[in-house]
Amino acid sequence: MVYVSRVGMVKIGRHYEKSPRDLAFEAVREALADADIDSIDYLVVASSLTYMQSPQLDLAAYIASSLGLPVKSALAVEAGENSGLAAIEVAVNLIRSHAAEKVLVVGVDKLTDYPSGPTYEMLEALYDTESDAIYRIGHAAPLAMLMRIYMEKYGVDRNTLAYWPAMMHAHAKENPYAMLRFAIKPEKVATAMPIADPITLLDAYPLGDGAAAVLLTSEDQVGDHLARIKEVAGAVGMPSIALREDPLMLEHVAKLSNELNLSEEKVDIIELHDNFTIMGLLLLESLGLAPRGKAAELVATGYFDVDGEGPLVNASGGLKARGHPIGATGVYMVAEVALQLAGKFPGVKRPGAEKGLAVGINAHGSSTRIVVMESV
Amino acid sequence: MVLARWWRTRIPRYRLIGAQCKSCGRAHYPPRKACPYCGSTELEQVMLPRRGILESYTVVQSIPGDTRFQAPIIVGLVRLENGVRLVAELTDVQPEELKLGLEVEATMRRIREDGDNGTIMYGLKFRPVLGKS
Ligand SMILES: [Zn+2]
Repeated sequence: MVYVSRVGMVKIGRHYEKSPRDLAFEAVREALADADIDSIDYLVVASSLTYMQSPQLDLAAYIASSLGLPVKSALAVEAGENSGLAAIEVAVNLIRSHAAEKVLVVGVDKLTDYPSGPTYEMLEALYDTESDAIYRIGHAAPLAMLMRIYMEKYGVDRNTLAYWPAMMHAHAKENPYAMLRFAIKPEKVATAMPIADPITLLDAYPLGDGAAAVLLTSEDQVGDHLARIKEVAGAVGMPSIALREDPLMLEHVAKLSNELNLSEEKVDIIELHDNFTIMGLLLLESLGLAPRGKAAELVATGYFDVDGEGPLVNASGGLKARGHPIGATGVYMVAEVALQLAGKFPGVKRPGAEKGLAVGINAHGSSTRIVVMESV
Repeated sequence: MVLARWWRTRIPRYRLIGAQCKSCGRAHYPPRKACPYCGSTELEQVMLPRRGILESYTVVQSIPGDTRFQAPIIVGLVRLENGVRLVAELTDVQPEELKLGLEVEATMRRIREDGDNGTIMYGLKFRPVLGKS
């Protein structure tokens, strides 16, 4: 069995004076503050944009040697926006295969070291640079096109879609680690600055820096744990929305959800990938947690909110308002779900939560990973 | 974008060449070494129809790179006459003329410039078919 024993997070935002290494250090220090740990078997680092920016190779070793605690071995995992959960997957498998007993996962990325233009250009590489990203699609164009198709196909109006970011901001307001800690009114979303129409600034994740750390252990390593990791599973999707049978359906996510029986079992807590409003909705539908074309309406009527009938979705504020430091985000998700299952999340929470999910993808869905967690 | 990669992908990009799968019969663009639908490597290169319709579009305001002199960037999801879909930039069209179902055709255009070595990269963009908008 693999446990989430400790977690640490840095408040996402502009950390201009801090390097990726500094941010990783802070997250690890917070995670291990009260842990009786004198060494780590393995450090797994999740990062993505760092390699295009700093530049720094063998990043994990350089982070490991700056933590002030012995680390036997270190490696880095890169899977775009899905890097964080990919690192969790590697760490879980290191423990399951008895290659390690104490594995530290650190996710870190910086999005404010460069002006927004060059940053959008780096983010363009999350898409396929041999097909769609030959063109100047930036970070949002494929999802903007999915949003237009969604509104047209299901006859959902722009204002119904605005309840997603409004819910995310309401949640982030209560989360001390979130970047955008203020409420917004749904009616402000449609008329906000356009990013790639119909996506506006209030549908889009903010550019922020962050780092999160999670200590995973086997039994008997640390006396108390926050949560247990039951499953981690990944899948690869089509390289472009143009190749999907139905552009609004993430088939690989649906398949994974079936394999994990997610729509059958009661899930209390979900942190999922809403880089833009539309992706939050498409993931709920692809996971089978909302009927096709109905996710926006369910969100608008509070089904996924703290007092709703459904699972509580993105109590952190999601990528939209907690923030989305690309490679680090999945590690935030696992930390947040673990804290929820332990009843210790410092924000909007669902008391008594027993089962939680972290769901991540890259870009339009080139890959996905789902982590299933339970309370201990 | 790196020059070598740009050079390697130039022929399908200039001529709108796709790949047709001999196993499942489906075509895709740009051509890959294995069929994305069934995995077969029995593929043959085919010329794709140069006309299609807009299944979706967006006007990109979050401009990537230093392209402020070329805004707006309009991107479309085009369904070619044989059913093959692709994502491409649109040209010779104003944002207010855009609509779902608009008939478009491929045309050769400048796509990117590499500021450091002065290379200009060409490829196909899509524009409205005259008299059909
Ligand atoms: Zn095939």
